Amino acid sequence: MKIDFTLNNKHITLDTEPTKRLVDAIRDDLSLTGTKIGCEVGECGACTVVIDGEAVTSCLVLVGQVQGKNVLTIEGLSELEIGRILQKCFVENGAVQCGFCTPGMLMSAYALLNKNQNPSKEEIKEAMSGNLCRCTGYVPILNSIEKAKDELKTLSKK
Amino acid sequence: MNNVKCKKYFRPETLLELKDFLKNTSENVSYIAGGTDLILHAREKDIYENNIIVDIFNLKELKGIKEEGDKIVIGAGATHTDVEQSDIVNKYAKVLALACRSVGSVLIRNHSTLCGNICNASPAGDSLSSLAVLGAKLRVLRDDKIIELDFFDVIDKPEVNKLQNKDLVVEIVINKLDENVKCDFFKLGRRKALAISRMTISTICKTDESGNVVLFNITCGATFPKPMTFEDVNNILIGKKPSKELIDEVAKKLSDKIPEIAGIRKSTAYKQPVCEKMVKRVLSKMLLNEEV
Repeated sequence: MKIDFTLNNKHITLDTEPTKRLVDAIRDDLSLTGTKIGCEVGECGACTVVIDGEAVTSCLVLVGQVQGKNVLTIEGLSELEIGRILQKCFVENGAVQCGFCTPGMLMSAYALLNKNQNPSKEEIKEAMSGNLCRCTGYVPILNSIEKAKDELKTLSKK
Repeated sequence: MNNVKCKKYFRPETLLELKDFLKNTSENVSYIAGGTDLILHAREKDIYENNIIVDIFNLKELKGIKEEGDKIVIGAGATHTDVEQSDIVNKYAKVLALACRSVGSVLIRNHSTLCGNICNASPAGDSLSSLAVLGAKLRVLRDDKIIELDFFDVIDKPEVNKLQNKDLVVEIVINKLDENVKCDFFKLGRRKALAISRMTISTICKTDESGNVVLFNITCGATFPKPMTFEDVNNILIGKKPSKELIDEVAKKLSDKIPEIAGIRKSTAYKQPVCEKMVKRVLSKMLLNEEV
């Protein structure tokens, strides 16, 4: 089946099985391997992508369901200013160790900051509650998002 | 490969297109809305291999939450996030918003639907106890007509609903609560997010000017084989002023329903005292402003 959607700000038509999981279509059909496969049951958040502004686990979405939608993966986020700031803050604040959860973490952080430029600590924790990290203990990740929030604020004032 | 195996995948663009399709098929139909449960079920076993999967998630007619006089109407495509953040639900049925907020994580709630939570009939469905105290109804498309079914009559037993093949729940209907109605929802899980309910408590209560209870409904979820409420439990408070003694009586009576209805199971020794304690805690805070 042909599925038309926007991927990382480019319109594409993907000819694939509509009942394939979105994460498999992204990784196997489109060769975008930044989106990771972890638990495959929606619990770890390694496969997080953003669909129409909302962060979702792409292991629990069928590719047929993104017809007409706007999908952003970590590769698309890296092209955006907010993505670059998030990446820099993660690196500078020790939020990356093995790095497997990092793309998902960045996608959830992006979805939050894109909707809410001034989230509280609790709101950041809530937004990141679906992303698991077995290395960092979370504190550096949450601090990085706070830092990115501040940098984005400064940037918007310029 | 992790494709969901099915006979055919059909994604109607409009409700009319879906109705036409249903009129002309005699195949087994499985609906997918968010799909956060269906995809997992399909991974475990090829249960949809002989079915047509009809994807209703993006049907515009089934999106959204609206007011209809004294009712709230929630479309089958509304996600848990939609419900949790809806001004209408928060104003007139806050217990449901609180319950939806407890589902999985933000990532799950952004794609999973309230309607899916009902139709999957999981005994651990987070929203079910709140829908029970609200007395929800379901509008179902059956044989090209919309019929209204009681929520309690649609869920049969764990993981089984009573809907017929091709029946599609299109809307969930809830009577608006007065803004003065107090409500609370409590979920007991093993962790803060992504927890499967061990138990939920949902309650609504309204008192009159003299402090007597005029409306009260309480139940627990993830406990009984299907969602239930109990008149004899609710009657303990109705017409009376809330007190510690009455709250204790409600807590005891509701927790006694666990072995009475679900039978003595391994979990009873844990669930019965936990239910009693949780009910006391929720009602004491809500009605007496006391922490217990």
